[in-house]
Amino acid sequence: MKRQLSVMFLTWEFPPRVIGGISPHVLYLSKSLAKNGVKVHVVTCDFPGAPDRETLDGVEVYRVDSYKNPAPDFATWVYLMNLNMQKEAAAIASKLEQKVDVFHAHDWLVATAGIGLKHVFRKPLLVTMHSTEIGRRDGIHTSTERMIAETEAWLTYEAWKVICCSQYMVSHVKWAFGLPDDKLVMVPNGVDQQVYENVRKQDDLKGFRTAFALPEEKLVLFVGRLVYEKGAHVLINAIPKILEKVNAKFVIVGSGYMKDQLSNIVRSMGLEHKVLFTGFMDEASLLKLQCCADVSVVPSLFEPFGIVALEAMAAKSPVVVSDTGGLGEIVEHDVTGVKVYSNNVESLAWGITKVLLDEKYRNTLRENAYRRIQERYSWDRIAQQTEKIYEGVLGEYSKSFWA
Amino acid sequence: MRVIIFTWEYPPRIVGQLAEYTSNLSTQLVKKNVETYLVTYHPYLTGLTEEPNGVKIARVANPVRTHIGVLTWVLTLNQEVERAAANIYYQAGKQIDVIDVYDWHFVPAATTLKNALGIPFVYSVDSLEDHRSPGASSPFNMGIKSIEWLGFYEAAAVTVKSEWMRDEVIRIYKVPKEKIQLVLPSSKTWVDDVLKVYAQASGGAGKP
Repeated sequence: MKRQLSVMFLTWEFPPRVIGGISPHVLYLSKSLAKNGVKVHVVTCDFPGAPDRETLDGVEVYRVDSYKNPAPDFATWVYLMNLNMQKEAAAIASKLEQKVDVFHAHDWLVATAGIGLKHVFRKPLLVTMHSTEIGRRDGIHTSTERMIAETEAWLTYEAWKVICCSQYMVSHVKWAFGLPDDKLVMVPNGVDQQVYENVRKQDDLKGFRTAFALPEEKLVLFVGRLVYEKGAHVLINAIPKILEKVNAKFVIVGSGYMKDQLSNIVRSMGLEHKVLFTGFMDEASLLKLQCCADVSVVPSLFEPFGIVALEAMAAKSPVVVSDTGGLGEIVEHDVTGVKVYSNNVESLAWGITKVLLDEKYRNTLRENAYRRIQERYSWDRIAQQTEKIYEGVLGEYSKSFWA
Repeated sequence: MRVIIFTWEYPPRIVGQLAEYTSNLSTQLVKKNVETYLVTYHPYLTGLTEEPNGVKIARVANPVRTHIGVLTWVLTLNQEVERAAANIYYQAGKQIDVIDVYDWHFVPAATTLKNALGIPFVYSVDSLEDHRSPGASSPFNMGIKSIEWLGFYEAAAVTVKSEWMRDEVIRIYKVPKEKIQLVLPSSKTWVDDVLKVYAQASGGAGKP
């Protein structure tokens, strides 16, 4: 029998601690790996009410002290938190009967912990780069940003392989850190279709929908943080053009520093009766809403992957996305969704109107998109791809003087 | 006995008193037939070298060049200290008796090495944040103090160079008195006193 592979994930967020996309990513990847027979240890930050130690569908979860004194600033907190995480992970790994074969870090937020563990245990380090500082900030402008970018560069330097979730991110990370081609590997993000199947089967979606839109209104859904790069302002500016052709309600889910600015624009346009800002929404309601949407819009200006488009496709909601970053790779225009020009109000209005006016077209997009999800973005498939990367790395490692 | 000393300053890079003290100590340790390694910071003289005094020195640089404070600088330098120390550990057949860490800077590395590889460490106190920045309790100062606290908590033994400092460590960090050893640099038995602490910290292993 093949020896069981043992992996230690380092991540600053893991449910119930959810800040961005890393948390669900690590949850589904670790569960799917465990289902395929890989031993997965997840070391993550603690969270009020969540146990320090639990086994979740075969995944060993350890929540460590995330440094709860007031910190001078976010970046310094990250390094202080890493000190605790590294110390705890070292203690955990040293006591395991079956030694850890691979350390797998998610983003710079656990960079120093991952790098330190690699060297003290002399085991390969892998990293998934979910995003980059230079991409998030559209350039490097401050010392903090430069420090983070240099930490990211160091992390990718120390990593045996750098995993990115789209071809766009592969080329972006290669450019940002000057990495060789053979160090980079693409594994897409995934989506759990079963969750959406269950919602569609069990819930009274029609009744739920009435809380958001009138029966005669089409429901246009935006889900994302209200920050510049997510492009909610592009959608809002497109609303008058869309309303000329079709009666719709625009539901904006999420929160962020642009929230006041966006609602001011809506008020000044006199469109308050057509736009609903829900703020942050609990997951159960969000799932239902995604299943109700007549179109899900992802107008991002920068998007390393675009998980929200995958979720919409799994929810069988037609998608209109801007042709940028990883988003452009998920959606095939006119087949699994509609692609529009990024940061272009006219183009976005055209795409949304086209989808809303043609029910037959909507149904075709829905079916094609759902099939595409099954083929390419199931977590089971992604776990298999990831396991293959681990095995490849361990094959190389076994010939090194560290082995 | 095989020992690694961690110090953030060592000649030719001299910031305060620690450079001279650790240089003196490591020279004396070699004379007592202790296999003495030392890991320190230097911006460019990196790598492992053996000095004329017989001390084997690994100098590491910070992989992250831009920083917003001494905390981030220290917390990214520690992984290089760990790398250098781990290299020594593995090359020496996984046998290091004790690590002697000077002040708070490399306490994180000593802590990780202890938890990962079971190498005990001695925390040698030259100065404390409470004395360097009297009355300061900003999040920045607290960050440094939390690392000092970690050092006292995780160390197998603590050394101080004066009775006053011993009392201060007890007063500020509530460290049990038995954990703190006085090693007077002016004393004739100074090196032997240090070696006694090493032997005690490493569980009596590796007699000099």
